[in-house]
Amino acid sequence: MPTVSPPSPVAPDRWGGPLAGAWAGAWTAIAGGPVALVAMTALGAAQPGVALPAAVLLGGGGIFLLRRLRRLIEDASLVAAPAAAIAARAPPFAVILENLPEPLMVIAAEEADDLTGRRFVFANAAARERFRIRESALLVTAVRSPQVLEAVDESLFGGVERTVEWTGVGSQGRDWTAHARPLGRDDRGSQLALLVLRDETDVRRSERTRADFLANASHELRTPLASLSGFIETLRGHAKEDPGARDKFLGIMQAQAERMSRLIDDLMSLSRIELNEHIAPAGRVDLAMAAQDVIDALAPQARDKQVSFDAILPPRGSAVVEGDRDQIVQVVQNLVDNAIKYTPKDGVVRVEIFPGLTPATAVAPRDPSAARLSLLTPDHSESESLFAGLRVGDKGPGIAREHLPRLTERFYRVEGQKSGDRSGTGLGLAIVKHIVNRHRGGLHVESTQGEGATFGVYLPMAKTLPDKDLATVDGAGPGGVVKLS
Amino acid sequence: MTEHTVKSYGEELNHLTAEVTRMGGLAEAQVADAIECIARRDAGLAQSVVGRDERLDTLQVEIERKAFRLIALRQPMAVDLRHAVAALKISMNLERCGDLAKNIGKRALILNDAEPMSALTRSIERMGRLVQGRLKDVLDAYTASDVQRAISVWSSDEEVDEHYNSIFRELLTYMMGDPRTINACTHLLFVAKNLERIGDHATNIAENIHFELTGEEIISQRPKLDVIAQ
Repeated sequence: MPTVSPPSPVAPDRWGGPLAGAWAGAWTAIAGGPVALVAMTALGAAQPGVALPAAVLLGGGGIFLLRRLRRLIEDASLVAAPAAAIAARAPPFAVILENLPEPLMVIAAEEADDLTGRRFVFANAAARERFRIRESALLVTAVRSPQVLEAVDESLFGGVERTVEWTGVGSQGRDWTAHARPLGRDDRGSQLALLVLRDETDVRRSERTRADFLANASHELRTPLASLSGFIETLRGHAKEDPGARDKFLGIMQAQAERMSRLIDDLMSLSRIELNEHIAPAGRVDLAMAAQDVIDALAPQARDKQVSFDAILPPRGSAVVEGDRDQIVQVVQNLVDNAIKYTPKDGVVRVEIFPGLTPATAVAPRDPSAARLSLLTPDHSESESLFAGLRVGDKGPGIAREHLPRLTERFYRVEGQKSGDRSGTGLGLAIVKHIVNRHRGGLHVESTQGEGATFGVYLPMAKTLPDKDLATVDGAGPGGVVKLS
Repeated sequence: MTEHTVKSYGEELNHLTAEVTRMGGLAEAQVADAIECIARRDAGLAQSVVGRDERLDTLQVEIERKAFRLIALRQPMAVDLRHAVAALKISMNLERCGDLAKNIGKRALILNDAEPMSALTRSIERMGRLVQGRLKDVLDAYTASDVQRAISVWSSDEEVDEHYNSIFRELLTYMMGDPRTINACTHLLFVAKNLERIGDHATNIAENIHFELTGEEIISQRPKLDVIAQ
């Protein structure tokens, strides 16, 4: 029973001195059930005046609850000795609430009519970070969603519990479930309510991804499957005794089967990326090295098509981005692969990397006369981070302006355009977009018809530590650097 | 902003901002739901979008009254005056966004009677998400008093125009290919136009924020794609 410690009236860091009643109420709403009762019992013993309103909050059976509480206080005093020993070691409630991973806020309001006068009296670290809540800020500056505001109002003035779902906007929009609970009045007469948010992004994303996967797979696999069974039928019938036709058909069948397997690979990989899209990657990748690896790997393919590379790569270590190596390689590979496919014989595929771009230079057009569209723009970030840019250009037929917005759509094919062999799955750019989005980067395309298209990706560069920090890690000297790299 | 001697004056100004923000949240939700009811063919949601528009109108009238009251009684100067005027202008833009969302809701109800055209509604949805993101960004810039962020919304309107242009051509192709789709396609064209207009209102709001915070108009020429000329 670690919860028997009375709540500390001392608020964490700069959050003034919210009321002990709010703490207790907040805690009971989270812990619920017997734990809450014990907590309030202890609270009642320590500060009876505060426990009473908090107890009323637990619902309709206030009086009954009070009686039970009294009994519990008496019981608790019997077991007080061992409990007190634990309590001495338990951190105060303020610290527990502050460190909860879920955003938790306490909101105060004076009048029901004053719709905008709702203020935060407490917000834990998760809430402050996620919603950029400043001290005693107004509620609407952090949360604008009408459903959530209504739920909070009903808790404040209607005294009811409400749970609503709410989806954020943006490249990595999150799905939240918001719980609003009434907390009664504080000693200045303001109404209090608790707002706890639970991140449901994982759950809802996996539901959506599964549905998408099934829909796409069943739709896209049907065509090659139909063709396969058609050929099998023919081989068992008319073409049974015709070796020439048999060889030809088996060749087509093999190509179709390979296409189906590529399609499944791409769909699976897309699903995997989508599931983790809201979780930023942790590793570090040298973009230039990734590009060199891809160029080496695709050299045979380029040789077959008689296409050459023109690569302008910066020195090692100057274009390090925050990222997942396999995924970054996949981005470069999909783009270069596409470029090879659309470049005519004896053409050149240009691969360039530019480190140290500002958000403005990262999106700056190279050729002002070309049709240009941003396919993905990262969410605005507070910190001015630098980007590393990758450009892959082909000298193919180019893409007409009206097709640009749909390029990253799954299975979208630009009509009337010969892509040579139809070996692509139509998922390459969709995969690129989702990976880049996971990396908090951006993607754009520039195209001039008849002259070729250039795809540009920009990714946030890994934060380099200033030299002095490297030198003085607890006086460890260069040895301290090892774990930082 | 310097501290005001009379505390309630500063509070009144803050509350005006808060009220506009709250209205912004409502407008955002209306736009989001309007896109959703086109994408999912959700008649119930469309009806509630149409029904909820009244609340935006009421809020706008209220903000207008409060802003006038503040100007008349407190006679604000300089940044405070710009603050009150910006609240007034932004609320008008938001109210228009709500009207456009309501119109999309009405068209969604009609579109539900036609055959689904998922390729087209996907394009509309993509454009809608873009516009929705701009509206969110500009409202974030407003609550955070962030000029840079407002400018970045202001200067990226071209993207919405590209999407509109692309949808326009796509719709033409459909209508020429199968005249039976003309009815539905015309409604979708208006939906796209409405979204484009909502994007323009976001740009206007960005201009209002810039003026509120700096006291200057944004002077440079905004990149603009001429859709009709193409």
